Amino acid sequence: MTDETIPEVSGAVPERLADQDDIIICEGVKKWFGDFQALRGITATIKEQEVVVVLGPSGSGKSTWIRCLNRLEAHQEGTIVIDGVELTNDTRNIEKIRSEVGMVFQQFNLFPHLTVLDNVTLAQQWVRKRPREMANSVAMALLDRVGIPEQAGKHPGQLSGGQQQRVAIARALAMDPKIMLFDEPTSALDPEMIKEVLDVMKELARSGMTMMVITHEMGFAREVADRIMFMEAGEIVEQGTPEHFFTNPTEDRTKLFLSQIL
Amino acid sequence: MATSDPGGEILGRGDASLLALRAEPEPEVEYAPSERPPERPPKGPWRWARDNLFSSVFNSILTVVTALVVVLVLRGLTGFIFAPERQWRSVGVNLRLYMTQAYPEEQYVRIWVVFGIMVALAGLSFAFWKAGGPMPVRRITGFVMGMAGIGALVVVVGPFVAVPTKLVWLAVAGAFFAVAAAVHARDWSKRTEVGSMRVWFSVLVLIIVAVWVVPFGHHAFVDGAVQPSESGTVAMSTKVPLTVMAVVLVAAYWVGIALRDRIPANAAKGVLALAWLLSVPFNLFVILRDPDWDYSRVLSVWLPLFALFAVGGGVLCWFAAKPAHADSGRLLGGLILVAGGLIYLLTYLGLLPGMLQAVRLSILLLGLFVLGGPTFGGAAGARRRYVAAWVVFIGLFYYFMAAINAPSTVRVNTELFLGGLSITILVAASTMIISFPIGVLLALGRTSRMPIFRVLCTTYIEIVRGVPLITILFFFSVMLDLFLPSGMSIAEIMAVTLGYSLFSAAYLAENVRGGLQAVRRGQYEASQALGMTAVQTTSFIVLPQALRAVIPALVGQMIAVFKETSLLAIVGVFDFLFIANKVVGTQSEFLGARRENLLFVSFVYWIFTFSMSRASLRLEKKLGVGER
Repeated sequence: MTDETIPEVSGAVPERLADQDDIIICEGVKKWFGDFQALRGITATIKEQEVVVVLGPSGSGKSTWIRCLNRLEAHQEGTIVIDGVELTNDTRNIEKIRSEVGMVFQQFNLFPHLTVLDNVTLAQQWVRKRPREMANSVAMALLDRVGIPEQAGKHPGQLSGGQQQRVAIARALAMDPKIMLFDEPTSALDPEMIKEVLDVMKELARSGMTMMVITHEMGFAREVADRIMFMEAGEIVEQGTPEHFFTNPTEDRTKLFLSQIL
Repeated sequence: MATSDPGGEILGRGDASLLALRAEPEPEVEYAPSERPPERPPKGPWRWARDNLFSSVFNSILTVVTALVVVLVLRGLTGFIFAPERQWRSVGVNLRLYMTQAYPEEQYVRIWVVFGIMVALAGLSFAFWKAGGPMPVRRITGFVMGMAGIGALVVVVGPFVAVPTKLVWLAVAGAFFAVAAAVHARDWSKRTEVGSMRVWFSVLVLIIVAVWVVPFGHHAFVDGAVQPSESGTVAMSTKVPLTVMAVVLVAAYWVGIALRDRIPANAAKGVLALAWLLSVPFNLFVILRDPDWDYSRVLSVWLPLFALFAVGGGVLCWFAAKPAHADSGRLLGGLILVAGGLIYLLTYLGLLPGMLQAVRLSILLLGLFVLGGPTFGGAAGARRRYVAAWVVFIGLFYYFMAAINAPSTVRVNTELFLGGLSITILVAASTMIISFPIGVLLALGRTSRMPIFRVLCTTYIEIVRGVPLITILFFFSVMLDLFLPSGMSIAEIMAVTLGYSLFSAAYLAENVRGGLQAVRRGQYEASQALGMTAVQTTSFIVLPQALRAVIPALVGQMIAVFKETSLLAIVGVFDFLFIANKVVGTQSEFLGARRENLLFVSFVYWIFTFSMSRASLRLEKKLGVGER
């Protein structure tokens, strides 16, 4: 597969962000798991403050791509530049980028042996080197922002899934990230808890955070996204504004996907 | 995966207009109060027995056979214990030998001071860790009734006493049972609870009173022949110190309770944990050994060395703990470590003149501290704390080094100044403390992604696990000196303890490795995604969870360590079992009393291991709260 197979796209960057800087730049990113090629040359640029929703069938490489952006997976070809720093094997660059890029996982991945408050303060203290009192007040402000300040003293196991995911968002925000990555943040939640997490994410998007979201919540994508990317078989098939994407898709594969889920 | 969630979609669309600026707090919903489960009438003992012991033919046979076996064992055991020819006095007379072996009698106050320090620490720890909890009165009365029943059974089936004495003891058991049953019945509906610490302290008071008033000799209940040979109570020489110890325990507990609400709990717990750790070398090298300080040497050697390392090392730590110096700090720490290692190597090869062992060790320690600086440093406050930690650490190090190197005022006629139970506990505790960090490091090394560490640790673990403990003990007691640089020597007991620790660490490592595998991949990823370094991820996220998962296995290993200290007898250490087997067993006045002493020793070992296993159960329960 070469770069030529990436189709021309329409409306790649929304107008409101036209004069923003590029914060994520991917050039021909390729990744293999053994003989299986998960990413077949991803080229994309994401502006500051942009909210990008990545759609696609399971196994299309969405998660792999987003995990490459903070080096939880290492890409093997191509370049990824985050906020002016290129991701290489250099450990210091990786740690710097990771502290600038927040990540929220499908399975929350809270630390079960720490209280909710300690989950949010730990990395502040040891990575951002904030004194305990400052870390605590930042954490409480964030827990307030995601709507669960009263749970600060509990352990994650005592919280509902939706509450846990909101703690996970607060934990990532505590590092003052420039970019937030969401890897199917609502897929492991019961239906009645999805809204509370999506509400937090909407608020975050309005506050001007750069976000990349993998989700199956079409309502969220339509409402919040500046741009929607559709991936299949390790490449970006089509991208555009939500309006373009949902009402007037050009690619057959996109149409097929939308017809299956809508 | 590829299907959308219809519920979510509807919510997402419908919500377009009401974009609240923050997530709404959950609305308070009032539910009808839930009902209590119906209170079931108590099952009578006959009903319980029918349901549980005689529910089927097979079950009935099993019950009868087990009951027969229990009765036979009880009869045999009581027959042995209470037989008139048993010389239980051999245990009582030799208690000092059992506890301390050759420690000089006129210095016994030192042993009581050590005991007092530990008891005071225990009292404070009980208070700060909130030991105990509400205990239902019914459980206590049930326990007393059960014990009275067992006692009555023992009296009935025991072969040892004449009928009149049996009746007296049956009456005693009956009285206990009756009182407990009366309280039990009265409390049935009230479900009263009392603090369990109060219960334990009451038991303690009862024991102390018994030490003062129970006459010596009665406890042997030899039928019709109570020997009034020596007047006095059970504990003739130790009842005053034992009482003092009990008072110290209770007083420390109340002081702890009073302090608990006034000072921050986590800081107090940290100080207490540190005090426990420091109490081991302090008790051993300062109180029990009583160094004969040579002040001119302290002033000319130890203080200047301490000042040099405190100031020089403090500056290096201050430098390395600044985040901007992280790389040069790590490099510096690594260089100091390499230099420390080279010093050992060169001294071993004879290329470097000998120097004080303390200096060589402090260079290595400084290397470790500087290496850790970038990880634990940060803002000015954190850097100050880090430097203070180094100064306190190296100060304690030189204090103990000076104490160890000063001659002792305690004169004993054996190589070791301790023996018996005290050396067993000392070696076991040291081994547990030393082997734990080594075992954890080995486990981390074995699961490391770096091939050198992995191969080294795997090789070490597999080799050590393939060699019998006795071989290792012999090796360290006899051959270790041959491998040390010239002019360097190490006390035999320390060498043996070191060998034992290295042996135990290999087993511990395998247990910890099991725990490491139980930590889910997502935990590593979440920690890395926050920008934490590998060291931070391991020490704050992975290890706490891994160790928690393997507490039962770790405690099992600790129990094994405690029991297997008895192998130390093979290299000439007078441990607890050795005294029963070879010392008391060969005393001319107690010839043939070895079996009594072995039984006594097994009972003491059992008390220790049983307490450890109960403590681990409590720990598991406590740590399990709120997990997952």
